[in-house]
Amino acid sequence: MPNSPVARPDIADPVAGVPPAIVCLHFLGGSAREWEPIAARLDGVARVVALDLPGFGDAAETSGYTVEAMADHVAGRIAAAGLGGRWYLAGHSMGAKVALALARRAEDGAADLAGLAGLLLLGGSPPSPEPMSDDKRREMMGWISADAATRFAKAAEFIDRNTGAPLAEPLRSGAIEDVLRASPAAWTAWLNHGSREDWSHRIGILRIPAVVVGGTEDADLGAAAQRALTLPHLTHGRLVALEGAGHLLPLERPEAVAGLIAGLVAGEPLTKSEAPKVSEPYRALIESGRVNTRLREALLARAEPDDAAYQPGCLDPVELALLRAVVDRVLPQESIGRIDIAARIEARLAAGAGDGWRFAKLPADSQACRAALRTLDAAARSVHGSPFLGLDVAAQDALLTGVASGEPFYPDRPEDGLDAEQMSLWFEDLRGDVVRTYLAHPASLARIGFSGIGAGGADVQRLPGFERVGIGESEPWEPVALGTDGR
Amino acid sequence: MKLDAMRRYATTDSVDVVVIGTGAGGAPVLARLAAAGLKVVALEAGPNFDPARFAFDETLADEIYWTEERLSGGSTPEAFGANNSGTGLGGSTLHWGAFTPRADRRDLLLHTETGMGVDWPIDYDALLPFYERVEAFIGVSGPADYPWDPDRHYPLPPVPRNAPAQVMAMACDRLGIRTTDSPAAVVSRDFSQEGGGLRRACINCGYCHQGCRNGAKTSMDVTYLPQAVADGAEIRPDCRVHGLERDREGRITSVIYRHGGIDHRQRCGAVFLSAGAVETPRLLLHLGLANGSGQVGRNYMGHVATQVWGTFEPEMRMNRGYPSSLISEDMIRPGDADFAGGYLMQSLGVEPLTWGNSVARGRGLWGRALVDHLDRYNHMAGIGINGETLPCDANVLRLADETDALGMRKARIDFGYSANEDRLNAHATRTIKAIWEAAGATDIWVLDRVAHTIGTCRMGRSGDSAVVDPYGRSFEIPNLWISDGSTFPSSLAANPALTIMALALRSAEAFLGHRA
Repeated sequence: MPNSPVARPDIADPVAGVPPAIVCLHFLGGSAREWEPIAARLDGVARVVALDLPGFGDAAETSGYTVEAMADHVAGRIAAAGLGGRWYLAGHSMGAKVALALARRAEDGAADLAGLAGLLLLGGSPPSPEPMSDDKRREMMGWISADAATRFAKAAEFIDRNTGAPLAEPLRSGAIEDVLRASPAAWTAWLNHGSREDWSHRIGILRIPAVVVGGTEDADLGAAAQRALTLPHLTHGRLVALEGAGHLLPLERPEAVAGLIAGLVAGEPLTKSEAPKVSEPYRALIESGRVNTRLREALLARAEPDDAAYQPGCLDPVELALLRAVVDRVLPQESIGRIDIAARIEARLAAGAGDGWRFAKLPADSQACRAALRTLDAAARSVHGSPFLGLDVAAQDALLTGVASGEPFYPDRPEDGLDAEQMSLWFEDLRGDVVRTYLAHPASLARIGFSGIGAGGADVQRLPGFERVGIGESEPWEPVALGTDGR
Repeated sequence: MKLDAMRRYATTDSVDVVVIGTGAGGAPVLARLAAAGLKVVALEAGPNFDPARFAFDETLADEIYWTEERLSGGSTPEAFGANNSGTGLGGSTLHWGAFTPRADRRDLLLHTETGMGVDWPIDYDALLPFYERVEAFIGVSGPADYPWDPDRHYPLPPVPRNAPAQVMAMACDRLGIRTTDSPAAVVSRDFSQEGGGLRRACINCGYCHQGCRNGAKTSMDVTYLPQAVADGAEIRPDCRVHGLERDREGRITSVIYRHGGIDHRQRCGAVFLSAGAVETPRLLLHLGLANGSGQVGRNYMGHVATQVWGTFEPEMRMNRGYPSSLISEDMIRPGDADFAGGYLMQSLGVEPLTWGNSVARGRGLWGRALVDHLDRYNHMAGIGINGETLPCDANVLRLADETDALGMRKARIDFGYSANEDRLNAHATRTIKAIWEAAGATDIWVLDRVAHTIGTCRMGRSGDSAVVDPYGRSFEIPNLWISDGSTFPSSLAANPALTIMALALRSAEAFLGHRA
């Protein structure tokens, strides 16, 4: 039986041997049929189950336009379909935000979404309010209820502007037709509300494997925006940039999108966060009687791998991704395995665990951190026209050099940002936090050949301490530095 | 420390004295008053730690630092927390470096000598017997002959010189700068503590600043506090004082403190406030007490505590050994000084997180350069100074608008160097760089740093210009005494704790004399 997109409540029950389903959610003004070219290419690989969102396609008469209501609608369809086993979820633009909301529900244990095994997000509207100018919103809301001729002309313009190269027929006509049959109320609701809903905290950081796709010609929701706004929410997210593509990826690049779905369904292995390995001799020292019990337990706990899906407590996921990027520049970890220093710092910030003082010129620690990251990102956009997360490391380093200098390093600071002196003080605090977190880890202590942990075990009446403390003297058990040449 | 067998008082009993704080200022007072048979209770904001649980780890040591937030302003904002502020029975002596030079006689008369700074209202000879008593009691190790004071003798032989001390000594010899083993309140051999138990000899672990595990380092919980308890004092940990009640004449009648989330009232005849140079003025400002002079919070001082670091070819492994085992007082009055006062120098070994923090903050390294520098940890050595800071109007502790969990306004401390500190710092930096160059160090770099908390409730002869008299008694509230670093009129070049202890004994005896 050929693959065909379906937009009906009675999705067929799974049959043994039938490939897994991928539920597909369309963009603003689209409908289930935008997935037809993809479905045709996935025969035997995945069953495309394309749905119309409320207010669009065959569901134009259905109401409920918030992200939550759309997610409810989709969840209902999925439950009714009883997909069974593992299944996948694809979302395009507006549909991606709904897909992320559903993925959060699935990770929180929603029974009707059990089995969700992967996400494909195409030109996705991010969890945070979608970057779009007010002029553009106004313009799009203006013509949707205009006279027929204007509506047709503008719908055609809308489709053409959102593609890297003009769509071939009949795809183009079909896409225009879909825009025209959308409910103006749903269209306006998305522009006014849905796209502006801030889901970043609710979605948090997802563990589900995800492929995030952006077109290089998509101004607002292309690859750079996806890296900055969507990827931070995904522990196991992989970014794919489609060269020359605009925003209507399923229509523009069905071949590539189908290939990505095939890879996702094939279950390509997850990238796992790997902790730095503590060298064997150092681990043996930690386990030995020279190290006291409390310290041994603390060192082994610090050596545990970080939770790759660490949920930040006071930053939002995008801010945590920014902090990780900055921390990577402060202390590059080039060896195999890494300490999630940013997450460890964030956990302390969220717990309100201070160190007894702060610069009077800075606001409270967590507030300062958020304001600093916001300022840094604004600087990146102002100087390079790209979010900080979209910059290469040389450009990131250049900005941070500016921050460290304490001199104004870009034209305007955001209203809720920090000034140049504050940025430099914050960066000083951050460097201190980073180093302290790094050096607390036993792999780092092993790397520098630090012997202090071995000063004595549990019996305080018989602590061995150090007998040899002079220049060039060492005791036979003392570790040797592993880093570079040790000096 | 063991408190289970101590004498206990009811809060309804009116004890003779409540001592607020159990650090270097409060503990000797408590012990001395208990020895005289007074009913005394100490209230300590922090917990009672078991030193055997200290763990040779800088992160786990966070528990012994005062980590309630303070705001640091001014042109050289000072770090608090692990840098200089402790909590727990023993206060900051749990984490102090136990480096115990005495004040230089001339530093107490700086104004007479130079026309700058202030004279202390007491002279060195008045302090000397107290220095000697403290050194004997707590067990100070030091050289047989002290090059800058022929009359001085330390009760215990010096602790071993570690690698930074050895290399600094060689270089100073070459330059004609005198050095010797540091006076250190760390017992170099097993020591039977008067009033306490056996203190094991120092094992050279290097973790003085993270809490001493075997009692080798003097902290109040292994010296004055056990003696106080043996003589009938009660010590209450986890008790945070936030109020003082007074009668119509203005005398304090009771101390209000929070313990276990509940406020308690301890009736008393007198109060010794020994909460340190930040919390003491903060409490007085919070209560609006004892500040007729307008001096509470004024003339805050931190020491100029610049460090110079170098990289050495052989392994130094500076984490080992007593961290500051070499001293030089040759720069207490340098011949070519263009500033008042002077500084002492000490060799430095520093544990990795503290050192790395300095590299990242003070040297400003990040990226590959930071990782590379951290990798050379085992080849580093430092020299630090402790330099005179003059009292200054701009350096002041105030209450910020933000409040803490108790609803008390946080302390905001503005501190900055004036010209004298800048000149002293430049001289010290030149001197130490020359020492490290003579030692063959490479990659020499300077860490500007401020240490200690001093001033804010200065002692003096008049209630118009000082908060307490030369014995620590408030000019305004006759049964309020202050014993801690807040009463110092100027910083002195010497590290403060030994002088705080000596002044504490002196205050306690003045109090006893006053009662009699």
